Amino acid sequence: MERLSSRTSRRSVLAGGAAAIATSIAPFSIGRAQASKLKVGVLLPRSGPQAQIGIDCQRGADVAINVLKAKGFPELEFVLGDTETNPQIARAQAEKLIDQGIHVLTGCFDSGQTLAAAQVCEQKGIPLVVNIAAVPSLTDQGYKTVFRNFPTGPMIATDAFQLQKELYTAAGKAPKTVVMIHANDTFGASQADAAFGLLPKMDMPYTFVERISYDPTARDLSAEIRKGKGTNADAVWFISRLNDAMALCREMVKQRWEPMGILSSGPGWYEGQFLQNLGKHGDDVVSFIPWYDPNKAMSKAMTAEFTKQFPNLQLNTNHAHTFEALLIASDAYKRAGATDPAKLIEALQKTDIKDNVTVGPGVKFNEKGQNTATRCSAIQNRGGKTPTIFPAAAAEVKPTWPMRGWDKRA
Amino acid sequence: MIDRLFGDLTRAGLAALAAFVLLLLVLPGFATGYILSVTTIILYLAFVGQAWNLMLGFAGLLSIGHALFMGIGAYASAYLFARHGLPPIVGLIVGGGLAVAVGAAISALAFRFAIGGVYFALLTIAFAEFTRIMVDHARFLGGTEGLFLPVSAESRQGFDLFHLRGRPEMFYYVIMLLCLGAHALCRWLLTSRAGYYWRAVRDNPQAAEALGVNIFRYRMYAVMVSSGMAATAGVFYAFFYNNLFPEQIFSVERSIEMTLAPIVGGVGTLFGPIFGAFVLTPLGEVLTWAIEWLQHEEIIGKQVKVDGVKLLFWGIAVAAIVLLQPRGLWPWACKRLGLIRAPEDREEGR
Repeated sequence: MERLSSRTSRRSVLAGGAAAIATSIAPFSIGRAQASKLKVGVLLPRSGPQAQIGIDCQRGADVAINVLKAKGFPELEFVLGDTETNPQIARAQAEKLIDQGIHVLTGCFDSGQTLAAAQVCEQKGIPLVVNIAAVPSLTDQGYKTVFRNFPTGPMIATDAFQLQKELYTAAGKAPKTVVMIHANDTFGASQADAAFGLLPKMDMPYTFVERISYDPTARDLSAEIRKGKGTNADAVWFISRLNDAMALCREMVKQRWEPMGILSSGPGWYEGQFLQNLGKHGDDVVSFIPWYDPNKAMSKAMTAEFTKQFPNLQLNTNHAHTFEALLIASDAYKRAGATDPAKLIEALQKTDIKDNVTVGPGVKFNEKGQNTATRCSAIQNRGGKTPTIFPAAAAEVKPTWPMRGWDKRA
Repeated sequence: MIDRLFGDLTRAGLAALAAFVLLLLVLPGFATGYILSVTTIILYLAFVGQAWNLMLGFAGLLSIGHALFMGIGAYASAYLFARHGLPPIVGLIVGGGLAVAVGAAISALAFRFAIGGVYFALLTIAFAEFTRIMVDHARFLGGTEGLFLPVSAESRQGFDLFHLRGRPEMFYYVIMLLCLGAHALCRWLLTSRAGYYWRAVRDNPQAAEALGVNIFRYRMYAVMVSSGMAATAGVFYAFFYNNLFPEQIFSVERSIEMTLAPIVGGVGTLFGPIFGAFVLTPLGEVLTWAIEWLQHEEIIGKQVKVDGVKLLFWGIAVAAIVLLQPRGLWPWACKRLGLIRAPEDREEGR
């Protein structure tokens, strides 16, 4: 009996192994493309630490399907991939999506993951339309298949200064000193470095009095706020993620620190959860970020469809930039008239979209595949919403500057 | 020599090993890009798993900061290539040497003050974190903004082994040879004087010391060999992925990733780390595929998300293995399939 069971087990193991190899080698053929549809691989971090952002980006892609169809663009078919917030997996998933016959890839939110996918796309000659990734080297490595509509880190930092100038001119009041408080991670430190490096060249009305960095996973940030308050700076500039932004704001209220204004160039201070949890204390914060232009016709269509599909959510940059990446891919397909990747790349190089959703004159790529004309926005928290205040062409409301005191808010 | 390296394998074991190596050799001939990419990851995990296993499995030293050594190899070789145009072999010598020196320094510090067990593990985490913060602020290494290796269009299509620039097939064969080489090295080490001493120190350090084994020296040797192997994996990683970010390279997650394959396969076994890597990753993929297929056949609804299932499965698999097969899957598979001779037969065979 024991011998029999052992033999059976061996056979099952071999059969199972063979089946596993066979199934994994045979290309999986879910949803093969129809001739008229552009098959787009949407590669995002859908699990792991960045899962929520990946899911958020997918919402932008879901909105694009209906809006682009209504606007007369060719139909899109998505093949979804999950990077698991890991560059190694991002590379393997890019291979998988290409094996499944995608014509163009979009993603991957994070610079490291996008760089990993970009290498595969370059090797296989498949165009990659980046939705979000700011590291300059992505378009500096000489890739012919990479197209990015998102501003690079230095572009974001430059825009933050220019938008501040517009803000101070319009409000008639500028800070003379600013303290920088930032998360000590890749994003926070690189943004802070860029800001300190650019300040002398930007002819700003202020100087930085101190740079305070903190561990973004720390629970207690009271010491950092105490130190920041102690500098007596006119304004404070934060570069934070969500949880630390909430902790910092609460601590500012507790310690009654009321500077002229709170500036932010990170994602934390305008996110839905921040607005919901901080309520009136989250108001008046000005964030400088890649955003959408609510006054453009395409943005209005995107906003209407987004509100229809996700009535309880607020439109943000994750949605807008993923939407626009698909707009770019769809536009290229419309002009190329074929799904051949080489023709799509040629069409992408000649992209000239005026009716887009993000801020700036439109979408046009330079020889490196970077849209250098895309701009950031200044948005301000107002009663749970985040209207644009600058640039003037995209503005929805007048700025509130200086910010109101903590006990002077309705 | 052959008998020393493979004397513990039965005929079935030798046949299975030969079939496995043959399959690996011919795989690029028929596998898709995705399969090749996944197999490259598996072989990489098997390689670093063997490096980690050498310390815990052979010498009884738990490291949860092994990303430190891998990161040193990666950064040293990437820096020398990107900034000075030096080939990876120079990076391997410098990075490997540096990792071995750091490993020696950490172990000397730990063993001099009799720091062992979980405290040694904490020390390895501390050094990995300390190095991450240091690299975060090291401008010449790109700091938090990352270090990038130059990649030209021609180099991506070639087969330049000297500069490790080329097609995915080249990287596949490189990591395959490294993995099999590491396996041969571990086999050789385990049957050498050092291997016997390591096992004696692992099982009963007091008794080993009483018999005259210099436990300080042999523990240090284990750390040095293991850190050198991890640094080699780092060189491969740097040239395969072409970009390094300190928070990804030196993260605790990366250190834990190195431990998964040996834990699943069998800590202290020779083939366990390779077996564990080849079980964990494909099973996760098959599970994802199965859910997609069930959705395609409309057996389950689209609301069942595939994302994250693999990670969930890994967690369950590790928990199940720890509970049901605490010695790992490889000893169990060996017993069932008769791949390894029983110890008494082996003694007779020698």
